[in-house]
Amino acid sequence: MTATEENPIDFSAPAMVEGIAHVVAVEGNLAWLEPEQTSTCGSCASSSACGAKGIGTTANRLEARRFSLENQAGLAVGERVVVGIRENALVKASLTAYAIPLATALIAGALAQWADGRDGITLAAMVGGLLLGLGLARLIASHLSARGELAPRFLRRADAAVVCHPITLNMPKAGK
Amino acid sequence: MKEYILLMVSAALVNNVILARFLGLCSFMGVTTRIDTAVGMGLATTFVITVSSMADWAVATYLLEPYNLWYLRTVTFILVIAAAVQFTELTVKKVSPPLFQMLGIYLPLITTNCAVLGIAILLVEGRMTFIGATLFAFASSIGYSLVMVIFAGLRERLALADVPRLFAGPPIGFIVAGLLALAFMGFSGMSTT
Repeated sequence: MTATEENPIDFSAPAMVEGIAHVVAVEGNLAWLEPEQTSTCGSCASSSACGAKGIGTTANRLEARRFSLENQAGLAVGERVVVGIRENALVKASLTAYAIPLATALIAGALAQWADGRDGITLAAMVGGLLLGLGLARLIASHLSARGELAPRFLRRADAAVVCHPITLNMPKAGK
Repeated sequence: MKEYILLMVSAALVNNVILARFLGLCSFMGVTTRIDTAVGMGLATTFVITVSSMADWAVATYLLEPYNLWYLRTVTFILVIAAAVQFTELTVKKVSPPLFQMLGIYLPLITTNCAVLGIAILLVEGRMTFIGATLFAFASSIGYSLVMVIFAGLRERLALADVPRLFAGPPIGFIVAGLLALAFMGFSGMSTT
């Protein structure tokens, strides 16, 4: 279905999951970006006592999620930009990272239980299956990454007033 | 085989972790604004629950029970879950940095998800075999993911609906969650496990 004057939403356009990031460095043709803090973690009144942040400060957790983009738009350090990934990329990434290792672990456990039946052997087989699945996930992830399916794309520069909202649906309107 | 199927149906649908046991409600309301984010959170939680339940079963069977340290189980399980989340985070980061950039946001939220601890306590109190405990944890987390995705789909439709201003946002979300819980009550009686 394409957009028309009566129905301005084009459902055939690829929906994007958008997020806001800061340009922290520019190296040649590459711009390094850091995502803005998107959850309430670290920004609420209980942040100092909250365990939901995981190990490390908010700053170094964001640093760990730093990513690069081709700087075709001539981005400068300090600029805020809106980046996006395809809606189905998140599902594809989740399936690769979690479903494959889980499936191999469960299959290995079921086979060990059927063949031997002892808990210790089943446990060892499941750990082995999990490690095998992680190796397989690594191969598939590098394949997806090489095809550029997991890479975020530069969409537009963000205004200073734009607040961080990681889950906005980007449906282009006709004639705009 | 039949007992494992009954166990899994019971854990996923009849005693659903969100709608029957009321665990993991913060992520149920917080990460269900879109289907793809709900799928991401559901799969991450499924992975963490299954892996941490395997570790919890091993710790309970080979450490807590022989040494009569049963009273330490809650503290021990919290430690095991935190370690499982960190293990997952480090593994995803090592396996694929692009995946970590996309999925890393969900993992810290799982550490404080009470569903993970609740399932660990339920499976060791049920005195199950290792494979039974793992399947119970896996099925419970599949039930969790299923409800997350259904609720996210309903909320996406609600976002387009003309809801009276008084009910817009969380109020209509809670009403829909209540109706969904009523619908899931229809599964009770399917299994007594």
